[in-house]
Amino acid sequence: MYKRWLWPGFAFPGVLWLILLFVVPFYVVVAVAFGTVDPILLQPVPIWNPLQWNVGWMIEVLHRFSPGGTFYGVAIRTLEYVAASLALCLLIGYPVAYYVARHAGRLKGLLLILIVLPLWISYMMRMLAWVNLLAPDGYVNRFLTYTHVLSQPRDWLGGQPSTVVFALVYGYIPYLILPLFAALDRIERSHLEAARDLGASPWSAFRHVTLPLSKTGILGGAVLITLPMFGDYYTPNIVSGAPKTSMIGNQIDLYFHGGPQPTIGAAITVLLAAFLTVLMAYYMWTIHRASRELPAV
Amino acid sequence: MTTVAQARPAGVSGWSRIWGWLRNPWGRPRFLVLVTWAYILWSIVPVLIAVQFSFNSTRSRTVWQGFSWRWYWGDPVDSVLHDPTLAHALIQSLKLATADVVIATPIGVLLALGLARWQGRGSRPSNFLMLFPLVTPEIVMGVSLLLVFSHIFMFIHTGTLAQILGHVTFSISYVVVIVRGRLFSIGRQYEEAAADLGASPTIALARVLFPLLTPAIIASAAVVFATSIDDFVISQWLSKGGVTDTVPILIYGATRAAPLPSTNAIATIMMVVTLVVVTLGFLAWRVLTRGERHGATAAEDFGAFNI
Amino acid sequence: MARGEIQLIDLRKDFGELTAVDEINLRMPGGEFFSLLGPSGCGKTTTLRMIAGFERPSSGRILLDGSDVAYTPPHKRNVNTVFQNYALFPHLNVYDNIAFGLRRARRPKDEVRQRVARALELVQLSGLEKRKSSQLSGGQQQRVALARALVLNPAVLLLDEPLGALDAKLRKALQLELKVLQQEVGVTFLYVTHDQEEALTMSDRLAVMNAGRIEQVGAPRDVYEDPQTLFVADFLGVSNLMDATVVSAEDGRCRVSVDGFELETRGVDGKVAGSAKIVIRPERVELEPHGAASGPNRLPAMVERIVYVGSAVKVIIRAATGEMLEALVQNTGTELPYVQGTPVQLHLPAEALRLLPDQGLGTASDEVTAPDEEAAATA
Repeated sequence: MYKRWLWPGFAFPGVLWLILLFVVPFYVVVAVAFGTVDPILLQPVPIWNPLQWNVGWMIEVLHRFSPGGTFYGVAIRTLEYVAASLALCLLIGYPVAYYVARHAGRLKGLLLILIVLPLWISYMMRMLAWVNLLAPDGYVNRFLTYTHVLSQPRDWLGGQPSTVVFALVYGYIPYLILPLFAALDRIERSHLEAARDLGASPWSAFRHVTLPLSKTGILGGAVLITLPMFGDYYTPNIVSGAPKTSMIGNQIDLYFHGGPQPTIGAAITVLLAAFLTVLMAYYMWTIHRASRELPAV
Repeated sequence: MTTVAQARPAGVSGWSRIWGWLRNPWGRPRFLVLVTWAYILWSIVPVLIAVQFSFNSTRSRTVWQGFSWRWYWGDPVDSVLHDPTLAHALIQSLKLATADVVIATPIGVLLALGLARWQGRGSRPSNFLMLFPLVTPEIVMGVSLLLVFSHIFMFIHTGTLAQILGHVTFSISYVVVIVRGRLFSIGRQYEEAAADLGASPTIALARVLFPLLTPAIIASAAVVFATSIDDFVISQWLSKGGVTDTVPILIYGATRAAPLPSTNAIATIMMVVTLVVVTLGFLAWRVLTRGERHGATAAEDFGAFNI
Repeated sequence: MARGEIQLIDLRKDFGELTAVDEINLRMPGGEFFSLLGPSGCGKTTTLRMIAGFERPSSGRILLDGSDVAYTPPHKRNVNTVFQNYALFPHLNVYDNIAFGLRRARRPKDEVRQRVARALELVQLSGLEKRKSSQLSGGQQQRVALARALVLNPAVLLLDEPLGALDAKLRKALQLELKVLQQEVGVTFLYVTHDQEEALTMSDRLAVMNAGRIEQVGAPRDVYEDPQTLFVADFLGVSNLMDATVVSAEDGRCRVSVDGFELETRGVDGKVAGSAKIVIRPERVELEPHGAASGPNRLPAMVERIVYVGSAVKVIIRAATGEMLEALVQNTGTELPYVQGTPVQLHLPAEALRLLPDQGLGTASDEVTAPDEEAAATA
């Protein structure tokens, strides 16, 4: 019906844009990471030809990531923070998503709006809210001292890992709840009724029907929040000024804005991207396998 | 043999409780209700408190001392209206968001159509390419854009233009995902019907497909606007400071440095603008697809998250 | 040549490795109600879409009133389609939907108004111009789709299983209406369906398709009474297939042996020898009391089950040859003289017994042109 070139033609502007402003820039990062530094101007010099890449800086950076190196602690810490945040997000988010998807009844629409709402409230605003609350004279301290849980106000914002994890959970959990909700909502009621009919208790039906069927949703939501979380640098900066809670993102930030070593920053960025690509590949592979097991819906 | 719906037996208290459970074995576990509402409160109340403090009459963001419009327009030095830094940030945020919508939406709509219907060899890699910005951490994008403007596209310096280019780059994918969802639910049938009735391909696209895509186009414009206004990382990395700082950048700086309720105020303003835009987009979607719903859940309107 | 004649010549459509339509040849003279009948995946919808213009044939020709339109874009063909899901434009009301094609053809406003009004009258929906399609019932939507297509006076109207989404009672009512409409309007209707009852009810002629090929073409009566392949016999109604061996075959009559019993069947056109199948329709099977006078084409049998279906009674019988057969006895109000588990005598009248070569469930389409021309000559 339509000319054959029409659809590729439509796609062309977008694809061109993404190539020029997404793919090419990433290649520049790689070229800088494997480039050299001009000794006089102290500027990074990218090397475009892969055959001429200088692996010196990359090796240096890899050294720093290995146990004992300067980045090792940050890397481990980042993994810990992300893992802890993901776990908490799932712990809190799954029941919420489950309730809204399957048991909310008439309130479903309202609850949906309420859980989607935070997505449209600026991340900075949400962090700002907690910075105010966790300040030395903020409501949290005042409440805790008033109820005698604490004998004196605690410095929540002065470099506490727990605060960082808390902030990460608060910030990212809406992005987990939504895909989880979508996956749980999609599960046919008749599947569960069949399970009950065949003798499963409510808990058993959940464990053997709902949970497996929501696995792709869990995985999808997990990917959706962990990938950006690995690059997060602003959350630790906002709720904790200290270097001892810094994440990988902070290191990249430092090397670009703090000092004249963008090459190292670029190298870390490349490593981070490579790591995340591995995660993404794992995710896609799991999805591919899962979609072959499940019947076509 | 016909059955008549059975009347509820008059309840003795014990029996009616059992009857109640039997009637609804899927009844709500109370624990879940608690967790859900607790979560919602935890999620929203802090923000409401922050909004409240934007109306504080004193400089404190933690101790409430009375209602005032001081930080919005009252204070002659530090209010949003009078503080040039705040005002400029507001304007810059709106500038970037508007430019982003105007550029990213058309590109994204065309890309969505192209990817959905393109059968040839380039379509799968192109589709893959489109998905990448959605899962790339913004810092990676920030770094790469900064470097590309330093080493290749050197005619573009950090500042408004660079920021706009950066925003559009991540916004395109949102438009594609939303429009594509709509495209799938429409299918090819209407264009085929139009062609069958004598419409040339151009007319079929213009008079049939695009009107049916309108709800998705409006919704994606709203999403682009909202995400652009709230963007921090890309804006920061490509900002040259001063007037090219956006509101999120300002808030970020303020939370670490000199906190005033005016920060709360400007954050509140941005939040209200975003919510209004998103609500309008959502309502436009609902109104324009009014005739097509057969009791479908609102969840499908958020289908944007089904990548 | 009558207006609205379609001729398909060696029409073929491949989707990669799959051949959906395998070089079919078909001629549909104008003005008749023609059905394409077959199971899912037999290629009937693909054939329809090629005639409409939404699929390009891999090879072959489509002649519409003599000119080859196989590569003409759909908006330039004088053929209109009623889609399975109606495809009424959601953003336009009933009037604008029907007027759509007229406006594309740039007809003047008065003419548009007139023709739309007449089209609505034709499908008995006058007064609903302002409604949107979501405000119409399924049956009404279907009629709007019809009106929208017919208002353009196409040479041929293509209908892609248009009644599939409706409930049984509405479907029956609309089947009749469509038939009447076609006769009134005189346009060639090409109707695609998998429902054999529908095809038999409505068509002037029909073609049975299977796996991309045409098995048989003819008037409903001929295709039903005289199936030429196993597939056709089995697809239309109950066939009561039995294995047989040919004893002798001549033009008038054939004799076959079924597990020792000799039966006489109707003659066949071609030469058949060796193993074959015989077919008889349930309503032609006659049941006689056990011990009644014997005669040609009679077999002893046992009643396995009796099923009451309202207007008739289905009697499932096991013949002495071991085969299970189904007989249909009209409900005349009298009690049946046999019950489950009793013996009866089967009479399979020779004129009702049809012999089919044992070729599996398919046939070459070359054999089709013969009966096609024969049917055209007698039409």
